[in-house]
Amino acid sequence: MIRSIRLYIFVISGIVFFQNNCIAQDMEGKIQQCALTAGKDVTYLKDFVVNLTAAPPNQKPPVFKSSLALRKGVIYRFSICNGESSDGEAVLRLYDQSNLLLSTYYPETGKEFKSISFSCQKSAAYTVVISFKNGKKGDAIGILSYVNK
Amino acid sequence: MTKNIAYLVIFFLLFGSCKGRVKDDLTVPGSEMVQGDLKVSDQAMSEIIENISSPIEMAALVKDLGVPFSSRYLSNPDIIDNHASSFKMAYILGVLGADLGYLNVYEKTGTSVNYLASISKIADGLKINQFFDFNTMKRLATSSSNLDSLMYLSLHSFNQMDSHLRVTERSNLSALMITGVWVEGMYLATQVAKEKSDTSLAQYIGEQKVILNDILLILKNYQRDAQFSDLIKDLELIKTEFDRVKISYQMGEPIAVEENGMLTIVQQERSIVDISNEVLLKIIETTARIRNKQLTV
Repeated sequence: MIRSIRLYIFVISGIVFFQNNCIAQDMEGKIQQCALTAGKDVTYLKDFVVNLTAAPPNQKPPVFKSSLALRKGVIYRFSICNGESSDGEAVLRLYDQSNLLLSTYYPETGKEFKSISFSCQKSAAYTVVISFKNGKKGDAIGILSYVNK
Repeated sequence: MTKNIAYLVIFFLLFGSCKGRVKDDLTVPGSEMVQGDLKVSDQAMSEIIENISSPIEMAALVKDLGVPFSSRYLSNPDIIDNHASSFKMAYILGVLGADLGYLNVYEKTGTSVNYLASISKIADGLKINQFFDFNTMKRLATSSSNLDSLMYLSLHSFNQMDSHLRVTERSNLSALMITGVWVEGMYLATQVAKEKSDTSLAQYIGEQKVILNDILLILKNYQRDAQFSDLIKDLELIKTEFDRVKISYQMGEPIAVEENGMLTIVQQERSIVDISNEVLLKIIETTARIRNKQLTV
């Protein structure tokens, strides 16, 4: 009996390991897929894997933030891909300190972009912010690419 | 008994699935993995260092200038031996990453196999080999049609190795890795500047003053370690030259340009870099000296 339990634990831990390994590889595939949406004229530089919970009532929605060093004279492209089972629609914004430089969604015009290029004229640390519309929960992948000249 | 064997077979099938591994040649003593007291929290560190030093951007800039490929700008891929410290391995990992970026940008995939093999060996030694799929990359490198995939995979692997080092409280090694990328990238840019006078390249080099300050800020967290302290002293020699570079800023609101459905935001706030030829020459000379010294330490 004890031996059977041990064997079951052994097999189950193997399955868990296998699943984790394959989930990781599934994520790799999604990142690569999202990187492809940036276009053929770019080179992938970095990805941001985002998974946020829904905003609690009367509270600010959670956001993902990452500080990025961008360089003068380089054109970057930011792309955003929603997760298949994501409730919310992801929005990527780029800030220079507190100044908004770009957003993949402009609520005042309703315009939405899957990718936006940014022609950088000042080497500095910028902040990428990813959140979900209306504070919904969701998962998304953001991609930073280098636009080839 | 048969049942047990069956379970064992299943177990190995499951554990062996999905990814191949390359042979583990380098080992790191456990004590070397311990990082010192941090003045800046790990979270703040990670906020500082994202994308601080990319193995691609410097190489792409050089290629955009129409500069032909030269193996003189590269380091020796066999520079690391089996008894290297984790300090040395992490630094060289960055150096080789920058060289790999240069090779990929110039589509020299044949040569890149040697660099991939060395990187794989170091990744084994630092126990981050799970993020470096050597066999796939080698296959992509030897079939020239898959350059985009090779470029993606190598950059993605570097990002993952860097992140994993930080997540596993080895930010000291991550800091070394990005320093290696930066120094090697600077060496490439300055060697090209030595041979080709170009204002945009000089400006680009001058702007690295900002990046170097950030790198020093990170490295100083570990200055109690003698090896880090020596590296900081060396980089401060470059900083001394950079201190004579003046950067001013011209304000402006970004402009949006939409073309073929693609929105491009053109930043109007711009930096103006004042770098004299004399300062540039000093930066070129000091960078080469420090880069060569660090490769042989």
